[in-house]
Amino acid sequence: MGVVQYIAKRVGLYFAVLFIGLTITFFLPRFMPANPIDGYIGELQSRASGSLTSEAIAELRDNLEQLYGLKGDLFTQYVSFLNRVVLHFDFGPSFAFYPEPVSNIILNALPWTLTLLLTTTVLGWALGNMVGLVAGYFHTRKLATLLEIVGIMIYPIPYYILAVSLIILFAYIIPIFPLSPTFPVGDISLSKIWLIVYNSLLPAMALILAGFGWNILSMKALAVATTEEAYVTYARLKGTSHWTRMVRYVFRNAMLPQVTALALSIGTVFNGALLTEILFSFPGVGLIMRTAASGGDYNVLYGAITVSIVAVATAGLVIDLIYPLLDPRIRHK
Amino acid sequence: MIRLNNLVAAYRTGRGSINAVDGVDIEIPDRCILGVAGESGCGKSTLMKVLYGDVLSPMSLASGSIEYGFNDDQNKPVTSDTIQKQWFKRISYVPQSSMSSLNPVVKIGKQFVDFPGHEPNKRKVMEQVKTYIGKLGLPVEILDSYPHQLSGGMRQRVMIALATFFQPELILADEPTTALDVVVQKEILLLLMELQEQMGNTIILVSHDMGVHYQITHRMLIMYAAKAVEYGESDSVFAAPLHPYTRMLISSLPTIGDESARNGIPGSPPSLWGELGGCRFAARCPLATDKCRAEEPPLVEHKPGHFAACHHAGSEIPAAGEPIWQ
Repeated sequence: MGVVQYIAKRVGLYFAVLFIGLTITFFLPRFMPANPIDGYIGELQSRASGSLTSEAIAELRDNLEQLYGLKGDLFTQYVSFLNRVVLHFDFGPSFAFYPEPVSNIILNALPWTLTLLLTTTVLGWALGNMVGLVAGYFHTRKLATLLEIVGIMIYPIPYYILAVSLIILFAYIIPIFPLSPTFPVGDISLSKIWLIVYNSLLPAMALILAGFGWNILSMKALAVATTEEAYVTYARLKGTSHWTRMVRYVFRNAMLPQVTALALSIGTVFNGALLTEILFSFPGVGLIMRTAASGGDYNVLYGAITVSIVAVATAGLVIDLIYPLLDPRIRHK
Repeated sequence: MIRLNNLVAAYRTGRGSINAVDGVDIEIPDRCILGVAGESGCGKSTLMKVLYGDVLSPMSLASGSIEYGFNDDQNKPVTSDTIQKQWFKRISYVPQSSMSSLNPVVKIGKQFVDFPGHEPNKRKVMEQVKTYIGKLGLPVEILDSYPHQLSGGMRQRVMIALATFFQPELILADEPTTALDVVVQKEILLLLMELQEQMGNTIILVSHDMGVHYQITHRMLIMYAAKAVEYGESDSVFAAPLHPYTRMLISSLPTIGDESARNGIPGSPPSLWGELGGCRFAARCPLATDKCRAEEPPLVEHKPGHFAACHHAGSEIPAAGEPIWQ
């Protein structure tokens, strides 16, 4: 298979996934019996103690349908939805922060989430794999078993317990970090960056620890199996050093499934975002999603879900494109 | 000359210790291809591991020693204690599974130069590697290839190139052609013979295939149940085997024109657990007498350079009655 064909196939698949994801996002809420505009008008009507005339209601309905892309039959709505989302990244205004456009809200929150989650996911992966590699490569030695025990101890702790324990431990019992962190908005200055990093340390630690245990266990198992391979034995008999064998022989082979795992966990970054950002009041997409969900802010939810679909699909695409560089058996079929 | 002084290699197990190589005491002359034959479990591979110095727990060198007959960089004679430092310098190894012995995600050229500390100038080594693999009839492009892009025969050639590149004094080949078809097998064996003739080193070749041994070896060592039972010049061993086990091994080879059914050797080797009194082959031997069952025969020189461990060395085997299998 040629390189161009390979890339074309992956990119084609990527757009197909995006299209299907967006379509589901569009149709699913529309199959719900409740209409958000009815709800909104009902709310207004009760606030105005039923004083709204039916003409005023009709006008209001018309305006709202226009604003939120609910005008016309399902197909017209669908086409205009795709047109707005795909071509203009426009999800309409937020209900809660009217008339702030949803795209603004999300674009403001996105860098926070991406920076925190990507950094911690990659760091947790790298640290876990390093420890797992050493534990697996030296699996016959007692000291290496200790490293594995670290993984076994951390892995089964549910994330929310881990996060809350860290908050209690490092913000309450030993108050190194603030209990209610503040994250400055607006222009970035050096002192602000320091404040942001300082306030992000606790959520970052929780996220790194959460990924750490699993990566240790998984990499350890892979590394143990790889050290039994004939090419590692042969490398040993060639007289290569432990370092060469551990890195170039065991790690290069054992990391391949781990890269897939990394891609999958990067794709689910937004799941992690939800819980972390609520627990640590971190101003990212997760916090916005929660506020939107509890406030019935459909447009914001649409936007956040769309962004997470794009993120998951993009992570998959990136890994598909990187994988052949790591595994020549895929590159040269 | 390589001297094996009463070599005993033991495996420590939960039930106690067993000797997988039990008192092998031979001298291997320089510039010779030695074939090692025997059935599975006779100690061939353990002997190779001990010779290579790859003695890892639970295996240990219980007693005896090896003198390799060559010196290290400090001009001290290399022994079983120091052989590890000579890996892929003065002693090298051709594994059985070329298929899985190369790192699948690293280019072959790179796998030629990941030995530590031979030559700091990798580029200079790569130039030498290029000329060398050209001599072995391999295209230079394979250095830029990954193992899965080569055929089984090419890969085995690469393994041989790796093992011979540093012109070691001793090469151990553990069934180097078992996984290959007969045509490629012959090419590989001829290549090994040719290289051996050019470099004048010693090759120790393990194989189940008596045909392979007949074709390329200068000397033969026959092992049975951890013991060396026959050792000598290949011509002499194949023409007039002294030990009944060797005889039966050789007579199990098919010959052109002979259409009679081949006889297997009835029975199976003794367990290495527990008391092993007398000759270990006695239970399967058609010549066995009470003496054989009571007294272990030593490996003695029956003809010049031809050793056998048998009380009835050289006696004809009485014609077997019914063939064991047909």
